[in-house]
Amino acid sequence: MSLLAIPDPTQQMAPTTAREQALVDENRRLRKVCAALIERVESSGAAEGAPYAAFEHAVLLAEQVRERTETLHHTLDELGQVNAQLREEIHNRASAEQRLIEAKQEAEAANLSKTRFLAAVSHDLLQPLNAARLFASALGEHRVPEDARHLVEHLGRSLKDVETLLGTLVDISRLDAGVLKADVAPFEAADLLDMLAHEYQQIAASQGLALHYVRSDAVIDSDLQLLARVVRNFLTNAIRYTARGHVLLGCRRRAGGLEICVGDTGPGIPEDQRKAIFLEFRRAENRRDDQDRGLGLGLAIVDRITSMLDHPVGLASRPGRGSLFSVLVPYAHRPAGKRVQAVTEAMPDDEPLSGRTIWVIDDDLAIREGMQALLGSWGCRVMAARGPGVLEGETASPDALIVDYHLDDGDPDGLETASRLHERWPGLPVLVITANHDAALKHRARMRGFGWLLKPVKPLRLKMQLLSLLERT
Amino acid sequence: MLDASPNDIAPLSPYREVKPVRTAWSLHRDPQLAVRELADGLQHAHLGAVLFFCSTEYPLDALGHALDETFPHVPVSGCTTAGEITPTGYGRGCVVAIGFDRRFFTVAPTLIADLESFDLLRAQCLVDKLLGECRRQSTVSASDHSFALTLLDGLSSSEEQVLATLDAALGNIPSFGGSAGDDNRLAHTYVYHRGHFHSQAAVVVMITTPLPFEVFSTHHLRPCAEKLVVTAADRHQRTVHELNAAPAAGEYARLVGREVARLSEADFAQYPLAVRIGERFYARSIQRIHADGSLTFYCAVENGIVLTAMRPTPILADLEQVLTELESRLGPPTLIIGCDCFLRRLAIEALGEAQSASELLRRWRAIGFNTYGEQHHGMHINQTFTGVAIGHPRPDAADGANHGA
Repeated sequence: MSLLAIPDPTQQMAPTTAREQALVDENRRLRKVCAALIERVESSGAAEGAPYAAFEHAVLLAEQVRERTETLHHTLDELGQVNAQLREEIHNRASAEQRLIEAKQEAEAANLSKTRFLAAVSHDLLQPLNAARLFASALGEHRVPEDARHLVEHLGRSLKDVETLLGTLVDISRLDAGVLKADVAPFEAADLLDMLAHEYQQIAASQGLALHYVRSDAVIDSDLQLLARVVRNFLTNAIRYTARGHVLLGCRRRAGGLEICVGDTGPGIPEDQRKAIFLEFRRAENRRDDQDRGLGLGLAIVDRITSMLDHPVGLASRPGRGSLFSVLVPYAHRPAGKRVQAVTEAMPDDEPLSGRTIWVIDDDLAIREGMQALLGSWGCRVMAARGPGVLEGETASPDALIVDYHLDDGDPDGLETASRLHERWPGLPVLVITANHDAALKHRARMRGFGWLLKPVKPLRLKMQLLSLLERT
Repeated sequence: MLDASPNDIAPLSPYREVKPVRTAWSLHRDPQLAVRELADGLQHAHLGAVLFFCSTEYPLDALGHALDETFPHVPVSGCTTAGEITPTGYGRGCVVAIGFDRRFFTVAPTLIADLESFDLLRAQCLVDKLLGECRRQSTVSASDHSFALTLLDGLSSSEEQVLATLDAALGNIPSFGGSAGDDNRLAHTYVYHRGHFHSQAAVVVMITTPLPFEVFSTHHLRPCAEKLVVTAADRHQRTVHELNAAPAAGEYARLVGREVARLSEADFAQYPLAVRIGERFYARSIQRIHADGSLTFYCAVENGIVLTAMRPTPILADLEQVLTELESRLGPPTLIIGCDCFLRRLAIEALGEAQSASELLRRWRAIGFNTYGEQHHGMHINQTFTGVAIGHPRPDAADGANHGA
């Protein structure tokens, strides 16, 4: 009865010697060991409930758990390493970002300082230019020979162009520097557009173009001066690029606001250029003539102003047919305030100014002299002073005071000076002149009932303001 | 009574100033006085559960009665021993107890009264019930922050099946435990549950805690070349009649180099046998020698298994190393519950290292008992030190639990 299928020779003959007996015994034991091992091997894995099988099963399970736990830990370690690498990368990127932010801040600071520099330089350039304009204008009032008159007119136009360019540069720098703040108030669209239509009808006519103007009685909410710049730029461009036909200035009532449109019958703007024309120093091709001296800053200013005012700009164009620029201005929810600004452009009579006494306080000699020449040409009697001190001894009230906001260091500023004189002679008409676009200053001047005129001073504006102030007395 | 005043103001942060566990022990022979001494050390307003280990020298009925009367509102679980591990190290003939602070531990004990009929369905119900209790009371996820402690009648010979079944139901919850002892008399061992000592029974205690912990097991035995094949065995009696087709006792005596008549427990401790499964060796400890030359073991044996002769390495150095590794993962332990095979203690005593062992156990804050077998992840094993190390509260305690393999 042997499990092992190997013939057992000890079964066939009886052992004769002690050694044989020992071998027989050993053979018997080995066969039994084999049998036990065979039984064990064959029963392993059987799903029986024997105690040792249960133990073996538990061990194998525990071994599996241990292996899986180790694998899990290994995986977790690897994940940890990957995490560490990611963290390091995040850290590197964060510090790179920090460096970029710092570089950007430096660049912005440099840009700001450049802008401030430009604003300051422009201001210093505007002062003598302003004087030159006043001189040229005064010269025009004199009787001069006909050929000299042409020269004076050319001189005047050239100075005006320089002034416009410089003014544009100053505006761009001010917009970029955030110096220029919008002064939003409700006003009637017609207040602005009537004036512009009148102004540009003449310019268009001089170019052989007709300007059609469609009036609107909507009340809108915007900064009148800035919006005027926008529409002026549209109109200037329309006239500049249109060889023949007409230019349209009109409004459409939209749900979101009043759309002020300027259309032309010009060459139109190709699709691929429509974005680029709003960048600085970019100009559409097909200019009507090459006398034009624009720098290509017009639409760049439009872009900045409309962004600041949050007025969407529209452009529709068909090459060969024309273009339509528009700006969408929100309706006002309040009634329009009365504007002091004159809206007519026609040079009024000198009559009301003739014989008036006008004090001019300005720390710039050239301006004082220019003012003296210009006002003198209108028949005014001018007393010009560098600062307020000189005029303190005067006992008689002037008819009007023109004061520069910026006076010598040590002197009170123009507003303060004007206020003191105003206290002395209540009702004294005051016109403050400044290159400072600060809306707060403008507000302060208005609160005191002072006129407010920005440099460069244009003779027509100066006259209108003076007449308006004198009328009120 | 120490710290038992209900007027004690609870500290704002329990993690800083409160001991998560308290321990106590008593050498009093009188059960009333012994339990009184335990209560002095354990009672306080936040006592949530008591775990104790006692010598069979106590009149067990009286002891159980005293425990039930003294701790009427908290669950008390325990078993009899073959020696105790007290706060001062190895003890004998005494009772030692752990009091769990309910702010740190949720303890849910239950009894398996009938080991024979314990099947997977019952195991599943039992685990569900215990986990449910822990979930209701604990602030942390019971399935992620729990371990199970098993205490079995050490002479029931049912450990393997019960444990394998229970482990299947426990799933990922780590488990460990010990078989109850009876001071080497090999007559009756008991587990304690709800006022009574039971034989042929098991206690399962589910413990949920936000504290970090790790269940571990170690032994100091290394394999030799000699192999013995079991050629005749009675699996139900855990008895081996023949090794290598010769009377078992004689074959073992030949291996050890002694006469059969002079073999003692000290030899069993010094020259253990082990089965190899996979890469690991699991000691099969001999319980006694019968007159017919057969050997009875403390754990399951089977015809055809191959036993490898083992030799011991320095036992305390091994334990110290394992505990140091645990410390590196958990921090210094606040408590180690240790199930230490009584044969290890015999070996230690034979080597004259009992003093050093006590010092080591005290230093590592071990409380526990000497077993007739240990349990680890569903395996019934011998001659190991198996237990759980519980760390101190950590600021990030909610996620700090660490479950070892």
